Amino acid sequence: MTAIVEGLPAPQREREKFDVREWFDKLSGIARIAVSLIGALIIFGVIMRLKGANPLTAYHDMLSSTFKSWDSMGDILVRATPIILAALAVSVPARAGLINVGGEGQLLMGGVAGMGTSLALGTRLPGTVTLVLMILAAALAGAAWAALAAVLRQFMGISESVTTLLLNYVALDIMFFLIYDRWKDRSGSGQPTSRALPVGQRLPLLFGRVHEGILLAVGAAVIIGLIFAFTSWGFRLRVVGGNAEAARRSGLKVGALLISAMAVGGALAGIGGLTQLAGAEFKLRSGFVAGYGYIGFLASWLGRHRPGYVVLSALLLSTIVIGGDSLQIDSQLPAASVNVLMAVTLLMVFGFGRKKAVSA
Amino acid sequence: MSLLSEVLTGGIRGGTSIEYAALGESVSERAGVVNLGTEGSMLMGALAAYAVASRSGHPWLGVLGAAIAGGLLALVHAYFVLSRKANQLATGLVVLFLGLGLTSLFGVDYVQALAPTFRPIALPGLSRIPFLGGIAFKQDPLVYMSYVTVPVMWWFIFRSRWGVLLRAAGERSEVLTTHGHRVIPIQYISVVVGGMFAGIGGAHLSIAYTKSWFENMTQGRGFVAVAVVMFAARQPFKVAAGAYLFGAALALSPALQARGYGINQFALDAIPYVVTILVLVALGKRRSGEIPEGLSKVFEAPTLG
Repeated sequence: MTAIVEGLPAPQREREKFDVREWFDKLSGIARIAVSLIGALIIFGVIMRLKGANPLTAYHDMLSSTFKSWDSMGDILVRATPIILAALAVSVPARAGLINVGGEGQLLMGGVAGMGTSLALGTRLPGTVTLVLMILAAALAGAAWAALAAVLRQFMGISESVTTLLLNYVALDIMFFLIYDRWKDRSGSGQPTSRALPVGQRLPLLFGRVHEGILLAVGAAVIIGLIFAFTSWGFRLRVVGGNAEAARRSGLKVGALLISAMAVGGALAGIGGLTQLAGAEFKLRSGFVAGYGYIGFLASWLGRHRPGYVVLSALLLSTIVIGGDSLQIDSQLPAASVNVLMAVTLLMVFGFGRKKAVSA
Repeated sequence: MSLLSEVLTGGIRGGTSIEYAALGESVSERAGVVNLGTEGSMLMGALAAYAVASRSGHPWLGVLGAAIAGGLLALVHAYFVLSRKANQLATGLVVLFLGLGLTSLFGVDYVQALAPTFRPIALPGLSRIPFLGGIAFKQDPLVYMSYVTVPVMWWFIFRSRWGVLLRAAGERSEVLTTHGHRVIPIQYISVVVGGMFAGIGGAHLSIAYTKSWFENMTQGRGFVAVAVVMFAARQPFKVAAGAYLFGAALALSPALQARGYGINQFALDAIPYVVTILVLVALGKRRSGEIPEGLSKVFEAPTLG
């Protein structure tokens, strides 16, 4: 056999070989993500099998519990709301070449600022007015938290990817400090929480459990897309992201651009934290944003920082996250195990999802 | 025990897991690869150590298992970054999620389990040294191993032939290629070795420090390790000092609470992270010139889709 194969002329041998990678490269973007997802489902299935669970039943339960009713499908939108905003918080700085891994902390600070505004104002003002002020406060808090990292980068030369990460833990401790102390709901039992937002200060519902936060999130994506495409600020960000030195020499204020990009990103994540507070949770508690900042980071990379694709990526990831709830309830596996499915999907897309990988 | 010696003792105890992870990350970064998945490798190591020690009854087998588990996760990072040219920061975070998911899936059985753990051993002679003896020489065996690891690592990086290849891979990969060495295998080995050290760090966390396993038990220590590597400029002795500083900040909270200071626990919990940021700020400007060129390329011009 080997002699025959070796005897063939080289080009013909190549034609006969079926290269998975080549075949994969020919697929369109969406198809590649779909194939990656199927591959990830198979790998995660094998891992679940190793753990002694039945993957077919688990997947069936995941699908049926997620898509069993309009309400349960609405939950995808509810979950996706903070994830979309946290993802955009990564996309805007990324355009200028900055890495914002601080979405989690910026979401938390947004939630904290919103709650603080509500507590400070009480019910003196009409609910809608208070809600608008809460959104502004959340945006400012998120922007400040993110800008801090950009300022440290600009003036101290510290990588923003590390500071934003560390600030996540500081933000978490700030929230814990408040809900275990100052803002603790004394009437509550069990895990400490803040008191619940008055009904008038919550985001109105669209249908089922879906609140108007999703409109904020999708609206923000549209606006960011327009800003990227049509404003000089959007263009300058791309210039700085492409080559900061060239941008500096052509007279752009690079420092101001970098800090503003980070602040706009942080503001978006801050609003994301507020939508979680005023639309879904209504109070601050441990596990308030449950890793949505990190998932948003991944959604932004999955969508290659382009607002439209980022929204779709966020929807896909939030569907996977919701599947985790089913794993816990129906298959008695820890909810966090769904992270394996998410990670394998993303690795497949990052590793094999491009037209042509640069040869090593 | 005085507050100072308690904080210093706790600093070594609490800092050792970060020390191992940061030493590993130094190797990886010297070769030009940042691995945010260090946090994931620590988690894998923490669970593997606890599980293997629990099953076999030998904590040292647990350490071995931890190194293997941490190295395997780092191998995933190495493959996607080096062979598939994926962005290293995004891949690192995905690898962390992979570690988080795998350890929560396979860790459920060990949350309640018992495992043999490392206990502090007073070294004869050395532990009698006034003040220092009580702080540094009444620790567990993994801490003693770290005392040996730091100078060995320094020698390896700065005095051995391997160290030259390692640093060249991160600084001047084209020169290495010109001299007939292959860069990618060196980087592969460095990333995997980095993950193995992170795994051992995780092992210290589960079978020496907390003596338990629970989901997501590293709580950002892997990220702190990456920060420590940055302000310690990838030099083993400075890395150890940075890790102990974080450990000391960590030890401050229980020490103050035990003395009845009514400070909110979470305000104290934030101290280690704030201290890490402050040290980065204090040393920031001075260090920027010492970053391996392979890394600064990545940090300044990340590829956008």
